[in-house]
Amino acid sequence: MAEISAEIPTSRRSDGLPASVLAIAWRNLWRNPRRTWLMAGSIAFAIWMLAFSFALQKGAFDVMTDNGARLWIGHAQVQHPDFEDEPLLENLIADVPRLRRSMEALDGVVTAAPRAEAAALVSAGERSFGALVVGVEAVAEAQWSGLAGAVAIGRYLDGAGQAFVGAAMARNLGISVGDELVMLGTAKEGGVAAAVAEVAGVFSTGSAALDRSLALIPIADFRAAWNLAPDEAHRLVVVVDNVGEALDTAQAAAGAAAPWRVLDWQALMPEVKQFIDLKLAGLYFLFAIIAIIITFSVVNAFLMTLFERTAEFGMLKAIGMRPGSILGQLQCEALLLWALGVVLGVTVTLGLVLWLEAVGMPMPIDPNEVMPGLNMPDRIYPSMGWGVASVACLTLLAGTQLALLVPAVRLRRLNCVEALRTQE
Amino acid sequence: MPIKLLFQMSVRNILRHRRRNGMMLAAVVVAVAAVVMMNSLIRGMQQDMADAAVENLVGHVKVLAPGYRDDPGIQKNFELASDWRPPDGVAEVAGWAMRVRVPAVIMSERGTRGIQFVGVNPRQEGISFLSSARMAGESLKDASDGRIIIGQALAEQLETGLGRRLVIITQGADGLNREAGFRIAGLYDADGEGMEKFFVFTGVDALQKMVGAAVFTELSIRLHQEPALFALKEILVELFTGLEVLDWRELEPQAAAMFIFADAAVLIWFFVMMGALVFGLVNTLVTSVMERIRELGMLRAVGMRPRSVVAQVVIESSVLMLIGVAVGIALGLAGIFAMGDGLDLSLWSEGVESFGMRTLLRPVPLFDDVLLIALLSLGLGVVASLYPAWRAIKIKPLEALRR
Amino acid sequence: MSDVSVGNGVVVDCAGVSRTYQEDAVPVHALRGVDFQFARGDFVSLSGPSGSGKSTLLNLIGGLDRADAGTIAVDGVAVNALSESELSDLRLHKIGFVFQSYNLIPVLSAQENVEFIMQLQGVAPGERAERAVESLASLGIGELAHRRPGELSGGQQQRVAIARAIVTHPVLLLADEPSANLDSGTTEELLKLLRRLNDDRGISILTATHDPMVMGYAKRRVVLRDGAIVEDSAN
Repeated sequence: MAEISAEIPTSRRSDGLPASVLAIAWRNLWRNPRRTWLMAGSIAFAIWMLAFSFALQKGAFDVMTDNGARLWIGHAQVQHPDFEDEPLLENLIADVPRLRRSMEALDGVVTAAPRAEAAALVSAGERSFGALVVGVEAVAEAQWSGLAGAVAIGRYLDGAGQAFVGAAMARNLGISVGDELVMLGTAKEGGVAAAVAEVAGVFSTGSAALDRSLALIPIADFRAAWNLAPDEAHRLVVVVDNVGEALDTAQAAAGAAAPWRVLDWQALMPEVKQFIDLKLAGLYFLFAIIAIIITFSVVNAFLMTLFERTAEFGMLKAIGMRPGSILGQLQCEALLLWALGVVLGVTVTLGLVLWLEAVGMPMPIDPNEVMPGLNMPDRIYPSMGWGVASVACLTLLAGTQLALLVPAVRLRRLNCVEALRTQE
Repeated sequence: MPIKLLFQMSVRNILRHRRRNGMMLAAVVVAVAAVVMMNSLIRGMQQDMADAAVENLVGHVKVLAPGYRDDPGIQKNFELASDWRPPDGVAEVAGWAMRVRVPAVIMSERGTRGIQFVGVNPRQEGISFLSSARMAGESLKDASDGRIIIGQALAEQLETGLGRRLVIITQGADGLNREAGFRIAGLYDADGEGMEKFFVFTGVDALQKMVGAAVFTELSIRLHQEPALFALKEILVELFTGLEVLDWRELEPQAAAMFIFADAAVLIWFFVMMGALVFGLVNTLVTSVMERIRELGMLRAVGMRPRSVVAQVVIESSVLMLIGVAVGIALGLAGIFAMGDGLDLSLWSEGVESFGMRTLLRPVPLFDDVLLIALLSLGLGVVASLYPAWRAIKIKPLEALRR
Repeated sequence: MSDVSVGNGVVVDCAGVSRTYQEDAVPVHALRGVDFQFARGDFVSLSGPSGSGKSTLLNLIGGLDRADAGTIAVDGVAVNALSESELSDLRLHKIGFVFQSYNLIPVLSAQENVEFIMQLQGVAPGERAERAVESLASLGIGELAHRRPGELSGGQQQRVAIARAIVTHPVLLLADEPSANLDSGTTEELLKLLRRLNDDRGISILTATHDPMVMGYAKRRVVLRDGAIVEDSAN
């Protein structure tokens, strides 16, 4: 066959595509503007669907996480390695002041406050209930803790010998501001821990668990009653200024906090993290189905195109264009169609997100009635998720290019003699 | 024009372009099947939350002393004969349980926890999760069994186990604290760790003895079917004047709110899917009309009315949707069948539990929902055909023939 | 381009060419052992009733179809032995096509249509434009270069198609029913044009037609009937 290839000059042939192929593809798109708009519209719809719902979710998740963290738990905590699984009194962190300074030196950290805690029997008069008694550093906590702000009666802790208790507990114990509260538990090294405090205030957060079971006292009182050293605590609660960077900050903190363990909000509030993951899994499933539906539509549109332009493709093949190059032409058309859809979809989404970022979007039903524990905001301020938008765009790019496989097979099999005859 | 002929023409037009319409059908099938499957999962979630709420010692209806909800304790009690039974003529009652439920503190050598101490008659607890929970050791024998059963998670926290003794402190009916030791008969394994840490059970007689009063704090009634709830509630309100009669929606407002949320989610899913579908559908129909300009022009020329042209396009769309919906529903149901026992969500267990669901999500296909999806899809088919139909009647016979 | 095999002056050499189609499982013998030579610089019309095999022969020579038996050599290249992509190259570089329905690319202007085929060949942009303009001008439609096919009459479109076909300097111009969609006045103009190309530039033209006017302009007339050549005469 060598002599044959010598006969037919192939060397100068551009087996890629002619330079103007994009221009031709663009003009071809507008041969049927209605179809092009419909297909670009469907691509835009899919991008909008994923990017916008993600933006809404992301906005909601951020606020949910931040509210959850700022209520009580904090964005990250330093603990004894065993404390999270076994919250025992002796699983302590030591040398807290030094630790605290190194945490507060980290970028983005607003404050780091120590807490010590133990389960105890709290009694007032004849009544007793099980409670979690937490020793806190009132001045530091008051800066950020939602709990400190949720005062229902009285005031937050501001001196020794005081207690700040949940509304449900106060009701259960039949106590109010000024009453005396007795706390009984097991101190370090097995002795009896006993403390008496005067109720300074009662808080109501709406979270049943906190309102029912929490009693706050100054950390110095706690250390005295439970026999802890002044530099010992159970948690060092770290608060950052931007929830979006909280995980990175926690990672940075892990290095500085050795030998102790740093838990980020995902570890501290696994239900929030899992709630988010579950929501995202649902969202991705929804999107996958939509991507499939749209791919089908695009396949369909290209089949129609192929059907209508059979004679043209027959001619192109006849004058010596290879099927691969013709497919390349179609790929270019698909690419432009996709790009049009992307521009449309991203523009609409971005516009909507920017607008809602400014005014906020009210929730259809008040989520706090549905899930009070999760601290959903009643207004969402979405933020554009470029990562997810890119995933959507790339998925659809793959879909629209894959959609050409069906016409590609037909194109290869296309008999130019018959194709040319279709118009006669 | 006779509808039969129009119908025949529409079907033949669909068959004329098998590949194109096949592709469109595939898209409809995927969309409908996905909506059916997702819908049944959402319903399963909903059912789950309701079941969990009802089984979680709530029951469908509860009778409580006034003020118990704000201040749960032995003081907020009522008296009831231990052989009380619902009045005859109340249909659908699956069972009832009379309990004493009080806040208490439980202590082992290793730890102290706040709990809810519940006195039960084991024979009546067929209506709650207690009867179906996996149990290590023994269950309570009867109402006078003075041992306790505690949750697995609580046992781990207290570092205790079967046969060990724990001290429980609670308030007596006289307002004074009582303290007593109880031996652990069994450890239960509930769906949620929260429950395991929260509830400790003993025989109701034993607990009454401890608090020093032969009274109850709650009567819980479970029904076979929820619709009977309303009638029952009315009867109970009359029977227990002076007490609070509350249904589970009032007792568990979270779960009830999720119900509304799930109803909305079904529609959201439908419209998002169909939104994606409608572009391709309109494209297919318009192309089909534009290809037949000559044919439609000819039909108009020989006297076909615009109405019949519209009917032809609408029927074509509807037939396409009808087939797609039928196959889609079949595929969706097959998918549900393939899920078998349900989807394992244990990866997200805490998140799932935090809104009152079980980690095994069972799909629950509801006939009404499937019907709604089918009807909405067909409606969408008609709506999507309006623009193509409008294009079709805009065709002028002469111009079309001249092409 | 090698000219080794062109010495004998034969552009197309068909020997014992047969082609059978299966139509609804019934074999249709489109060509039954046709022998046919085509000399360089000739202008041949293939005619005959529908189904006589004239289009089939044209398509086989153009490399659009494959013979079941016999050999076809175009410009010394055995077409039967070529792969699909080699056939593409053959068509691109050696053959110019003129179709019954012109088959211009509707989204491209006349000049762009002519340039398009040179783009496929990999001709540099500057040279491309120059040759396209020249080609269109030589066919008398230079002023229409920037119109799209939809803005041209049938005769004008066919001229653009011819410009596209000859701009690559093919060894053979194949025209399948070039006049089928034209009125007689336009057909005559077209034929004069083809004859001029043949006379002045020595372009070899092979056309399949049932139009007597086309046959009249050809130098040699070949008539087929039932897949065989029944008449072969010089005009």
